[in-house]
Amino acid sequence: MDRECVSLLPRVCEVLAASGSSLPDDTSLEKLLDWFTGLTKAGTSLLESCPCLLEFISTVVHNTALDPSILSFTLRLTGFVAVTEVAFKVLQESSVLDLVFNLQHWQEAGLWEDPCIRIGWIQGLRTMMQHPKALSFFVQADFLQPLLQLQTDKSLFVASAANQMLAHVLLSCQSVSSVGSNDVDEEGEDVGRSGGSIADLEYSAVTVETNQDYAAVVTAISECLKKSLVPRENTQLHQSLQILKLLALLLAQTRPPLWEKLLQMVADSVDELLVAGYSQLILPLMDVILAAYSSCDVNRRAPDQRVSRLLSFMLNIRKPADLIQAAAAFLRRGLHDLVHTAQSARVLLLPLDIITGLNLLTTTADEQRFLMMEQLKNKTSCISLICVCLTNTPQMTLMAADCLPCPPVLIVTAVLSLLKLCSGDSSSPSSSSSGCREVSRNVIGSSKVQKCALDALTALSGSPGVEVKLAEVFTLLVQCLDNPDSDPTVLQKSFQALVQWMSVCSDLSSITDQHRQDLLQVVRKRSCDIRWEVRDSTVEFLGRLAGVRVIQTTAEEASDASVAVLGGCCFTTPLLRAALQDTESYVRASAISALAQTLAASWQQGAALTQEQTEIVNQLLEVLSWDTEGFARRAVVRYFIAWLSSMSSHSCVQSPASSSLLMPSVRSVLSRGSADLDWEVKVHTLELAELLLDEAFSGQRGYTKGNPTQTHPYAVIPNTLHTRTHNEEDVVGVLNSLVQWGVVSALLSGLVDCDRPVALRACRLLITLREVVCPLSLGALDATAAMATVARVTCELPGCGWAREIRKMLVMKAKDANAEGGVSGGEVVNCDDCGEAGQEAASVGGQTPCVSVCEVLRSLDLDERLDVLTRSSDHVHNSPLSLLQDILTASSARSQPDTQQEVIADCY
Amino acid sequence: MKLYCLSGHPTLPCNVLKFKSTTIMLDCGLDTTSVLNFLPLPLVHSPRLSKLPGWISKDGTINLEKELKDCAGRVFVDSQPEFCLPERELLDLSTIDVILISNYHCMMALPYITEHTGFTGTVYATEPTLQIGRLLMEEVVNFMERVPKAQSATCWKNKEIQRMLPGPLKDAVDVWTWKRCYSMQEVNSALSKVQLVGYSQKVELFGAVQVSPLSSGYSLGSSNWIIQSHHEKVSYVSGSSLLTTHPQPMDQSSLKNSDVLILTGLTQMPTANPDGMLGEFCSNLAMTIRAGGNVLVPCYSSGVIYDLLECLYQFIESASLGTTPFYFISPVANSSLEFSQIFAEWLCHNKQTKVYLPEPPFPHAELIQTNKLKHYPSIHGDFSSEFRQPCVVFTGHPSLRFGDVVHFMELWGKSSLNTIIFTEPDFSYLDALAPYQPLAMKCVYCPIDTRLNFHQVSKLLKEVQPLHVVCPEQYTQPPLTQSHRSDLMLELQPPPMPYRRCSVLNLPFRRRYERVYILPELANSLVPSEIKPGVSVATVSAVVHSKDNKHTLQSVPKPPPVAPSKKRKRVMDEPPVVLAPKPLLSGAVPLEAFLATLQKHGITEVKVEETADGHILHLQAEDTLIQLEEDGTHIVCDNNEPLRTTLRDLVLRFLQKL
Repeated sequence: MDRECVSLLPRVCEVLAASGSSLPDDTSLEKLLDWFTGLTKAGTSLLESCPCLLEFISTVVHNTALDPSILSFTLRLTGFVAVTEVAFKVLQESSVLDLVFNLQHWQEAGLWEDPCIRIGWIQGLRTMMQHPKALSFFVQADFLQPLLQLQTDKSLFVASAANQMLAHVLLSCQSVSSVGSNDVDEEGEDVGRSGGSIADLEYSAVTVETNQDYAAVVTAISECLKKSLVPRENTQLHQSLQILKLLALLLAQTRPPLWEKLLQMVADSVDELLVAGYSQLILPLMDVILAAYSSCDVNRRAPDQRVSRLLSFMLNIRKPADLIQAAAAFLRRGLHDLVHTAQSARVLLLPLDIITGLNLLTTTADEQRFLMMEQLKNKTSCISLICVCLTNTPQMTLMAADCLPCPPVLIVTAVLSLLKLCSGDSSSPSSSSSGCREVSRNVIGSSKVQKCALDALTALSGSPGVEVKLAEVFTLLVQCLDNPDSDPTVLQKSFQALVQWMSVCSDLSSITDQHRQDLLQVVRKRSCDIRWEVRDSTVEFLGRLAGVRVIQTTAEEASDASVAVLGGCCFTTPLLRAALQDTESYVRASAISALAQTLAASWQQGAALTQEQTEIVNQLLEVLSWDTEGFARRAVVRYFIAWLSSMSSHSCVQSPASSSLLMPSVRSVLSRGSADLDWEVKVHTLELAELLLDEAFSGQRGYTKGNPTQTHPYAVIPNTLHTRTHNEEDVVGVLNSLVQWGVVSALLSGLVDCDRPVALRACRLLITLREVVCPLSLGALDATAAMATVARVTCELPGCGWAREIRKMLVMKAKDANAEGGVSGGEVVNCDDCGEAGQEAASVGGQTPCVSVCEVLRSLDLDERLDVLTRSSDHVHNSPLSLLQDILTASSARSQPDTQQEVIADCY
Repeated sequence: MKLYCLSGHPTLPCNVLKFKSTTIMLDCGLDTTSVLNFLPLPLVHSPRLSKLPGWISKDGTINLEKELKDCAGRVFVDSQPEFCLPERELLDLSTIDVILISNYHCMMALPYITEHTGFTGTVYATEPTLQIGRLLMEEVVNFMERVPKAQSATCWKNKEIQRMLPGPLKDAVDVWTWKRCYSMQEVNSALSKVQLVGYSQKVELFGAVQVSPLSSGYSLGSSNWIIQSHHEKVSYVSGSSLLTTHPQPMDQSSLKNSDVLILTGLTQMPTANPDGMLGEFCSNLAMTIRAGGNVLVPCYSSGVIYDLLECLYQFIESASLGTTPFYFISPVANSSLEFSQIFAEWLCHNKQTKVYLPEPPFPHAELIQTNKLKHYPSIHGDFSSEFRQPCVVFTGHPSLRFGDVVHFMELWGKSSLNTIIFTEPDFSYLDALAPYQPLAMKCVYCPIDTRLNFHQVSKLLKEVQPLHVVCPEQYTQPPLTQSHRSDLMLELQPPPMPYRRCSVLNLPFRRRYERVYILPELANSLVPSEIKPGVSVATVSAVVHSKDNKHTLQSVPKPPPVAPSKKRKRVMDEPPVVLAPKPLLSGAVPLEAFLATLQKHGITEVKVEETADGHILHLQAEDTLIQLEEDGTHIVCDNNEPLRTTLRDLVLRFLQKL
């Protein structure tokens, strides 16, 4: 713990104990507790390191006139202090503990009404209860009854905390009793060890009496569960709900014999609850059953007979809405139970079976079908039921074949048929019956069902054996895309589904020319849509499609899907170029990314640049210079990153065709991007600079790709990286070209940027550069000697903006060095080192001053800077020390009312 | 109350309501779909149309070369196009007292009704309805008169011959009633009978009923009508819209508590959502222009075109169509664009507020100012010199049979770069295009019909809860082509009463009450007596005086002094014998007290039986029954008049007399 903090804490305690109302803000106490939590977790004993806390607690607990928030804080703090057995003893001996957790004390003071006192009491106990002493304290003080009452507290937070606490108590008892009855003799030698977690409880000795006490606690809790589970009237549903939550918690964590005991106690009540059929309790009830069931599953026990029976009952409830919920909850757990899985699947497919009229299920009980049909006739419940079913279909198709009542292909057919119903296009095959017609009418035009079905369809692309449906899916999705009434989200999902199916199916032989024509037409139309969201999804689709590899039958060669279905660049590029003119910046940004994805293939093949590509590059550079929105400009920089990286991965940077355009463009991107107003554009620009560094120095000794600080000092660097020998002439050449491309200027301007992420990234890259070009490890004199040639490489520092900042820093450094009488750095700013006047004179004179790159890199104190930049901007503000100081300042301000008023005046 | 249905077209209604001695015509829509059977009227000489072969039946027996032409595999009548009029034989149109017009699309048959039928009544319409209706009529007359056709084809209408004709001609109905377009003179005469009304203004018809127009939200000045007497209310709902377009929003609340609601003018395109169609319109337009083609939009010169222009105004920037010219060609283009700007009080709220800024309510003013939208009366004159392609042309008539649109079809039909976008829902686009086949130009059908759809109307009816609904039979079943769409029909309880052309419906409610006024002096003479707290009753003797459907109670005139005339003495002259009216009884006979009274009078053996409405007392010794019921008392005793009188008097003791 920080010494300074320790020294401040006693005064802070005084302030808090005196009056809490002078706190700087209402989160201060929480922040203090967070700090204590951290300390406790780190193994610090609070009482040892801050003895003042004991006095604080005993003072506060007697002063019931204090602010309840301070009292609640104290209750919770006591929990943290008493977390170790030693501290617990101290507290108990000083009789603080009894008073702190004495209910009567709080009730008599009239404070128990305040929920923050109740929750403080619970949380304090809960934190403390990590060792058997605390547990026996709990038992002897007879806190169980009040805790059970708090479980139905009118404050939800208190009720939930009480629930957690009850579970904790029971689990603690379980550990202790099991140890007490079986293992105590073997592990007896560890008696007295101060425990920090429940696991440690197992090693503690427990006397027979306490053991009986614990048994009594267990019995009391289970009795209460049994008694309060079934609501006597509707108003008690909340209580049942709480009990069910607790039960689920317990059944998931307890082990036999407690598990058995609990189950036995509540089984009848659960049965009763099931029969009563409260819809609000279905999900929590299912949670309980599933918790019990999974606990068998996890512990590799055979499923308990009673639990299996309850589960079967749940999956046969009469109310369709409850039934679907139960089945969905079961499937979500993914348990290994063929019978019930198959049953759940049948339940979940029933609404789809009814509405589409496809025979997904060979047999269903007539009554269940009838009830479901009646439920589906109501529009609201129809839509929600269908959506639940749809959401679960993808998971169902991945189940073992013997669990599924029909092949996955049929499920895809059903989803397709449902989508047709939604658009009002077709009637279901069994529409002859009026019931079905009434049902299918409910989904016509429902975009909620459409969205759900499209999500399901997208996910179903991965199901086994569904590839045969590609053509059908294609046709339907194109129809959805063409439908004038489809809302933007439906269109977006349709586009996504289309890409997904094509990427999964990859064999597009079933797609006919007519399909292609239809898609072309619809894409063309949607790219002119009146809603920008639709234009955006269309443009995105074009980009994604270019990234999908597919096989066509005619030429057995793999190509991208954009070429296969849309005819490639000759169709997409004009559309995307038109989108560059869009009024909405999101669309322009998407168009730029899509262009990058579309052209990626030709870049990788090193194909010669077309006139069109040249025009695009010019257009993009214009966007970077003139576009008013950041999204589009960011996309432009990313475009060049993509281009450059695809070229460099194929070592084409030097190929004349592309470099004639690429490198000059990159140069202007670096200069424009680093001068951008948007920090993300600047960060992307630095990424581009990094790519160039990577390319220039790959394999160079001392060059580590990526973040230099992340490499472990003892990491083994593969030898292959050192293939290139350290050749100074090479370095000079590379460094010269980096200066020419503008990489060095971009990095230097980034370093002095006011946005921390930009400065941080630039700083890291500059350090990387320094390590290759002129490592500090060589020492100043060695470096000068060893790299005489490299040091001759200079870069320009124009007289404005970032360069002025850099110059200032260099001048400061030089002055410092001179003052210290050092030699190095004296020559850094070789044009002039006589302050601003001289600099301006130099720029005015038309001569841009040049500095040696090496010297700059060595003089900028990059490591110190990195250290500062790495810390978050509020690290000072958020430290515990600052918190303690704030509390003290606030209180002193309060004690001098005049100053406080001034402070307020200052704030506003 | 009776409803005579003169038109079977659900959106171009023409019904006559007989209600409380008035005869009211509700709308007079003109079914213009008949023109689709005729050849287009080209503005400039068309070699293609002039060289069409005449039609001769296969066996050569019928030769109608002059009248019918074979064009693109279909037979068309080569004559001035004719319209299908509302039924004129169902009732005598000269008996119609008033005609209520809902919107300018539903008045196109007005000259046929008001002229040459003996009609002497008044037509009621709002000002925009009248002015824009006049423009539309003027436009049609202009289109027809510009291209005069000497001949009028009649032979094909012969029943025997028509039966032998191919295709749609064979199935055309009532062809004998089809009429050529009216003249401008007839239009002027018809419109001179229009009296202007404002929303919610109440117009008294002969003191019997009151009619009042309500905003219907469909077009400028469009209205629904309330027709009510003191105790009955009939609502007439014609083209209405709940969408927020340019007109004032629909007034729904005033339709509440109607006895009968006559529902017409729902959307003709229940599956085409106007927003979606507008989007479709814009994207197809942009697509064509980008590809270097022209766009032709056949449309009416008022109505949806304002919304289209407004939508394009916002869209052209984002679709980079800033430099593309938009042309609006119609003989009334200028008036239509300008009229729309001056009917501020008939516009939706946010357009109204613009007027006070002051700004033109519709953005097409700005399009005109910036030269993006230009309008011309016809393709002749200035237009031909300023015409630039690619461009967008809005022009009529949507049937593609007459008007400037015919010229553009001939001009642009051959190139696949061009697109024709149908936005008016009144004509089947395939039929409209039939005489231009084969056609290379792209066709896009995005009908924009803002009228109520079935979903909206069900909601509306749930809200206003009329007792009975009357509607065209088309609304009571799903559309023929989509028989599975049970959501596209009206399902009501009780089921709506369907009508078709020539139906006469007896509307299911009776007049039960009339309002009667009482003169002050007569009222003064009444002596009310309280029969229960807050309810007083008095008897009145008076004479009912009825004039102009207004009923008044007047005092009975005193008998005039008998003139000492001996010459002629007639029974009639004798003053009527005014008998003192018998007192009216009220109250109930309390059973226990009555039994006690009977006992006092020596009737002891009484058996009491309880019935649904009261009691039956059986006086066993006297063999007499007394039925005491809520609204009557009967004493049944055979041949014992004294007993009956005694019993009657005993009963009367318990009752109050007035």
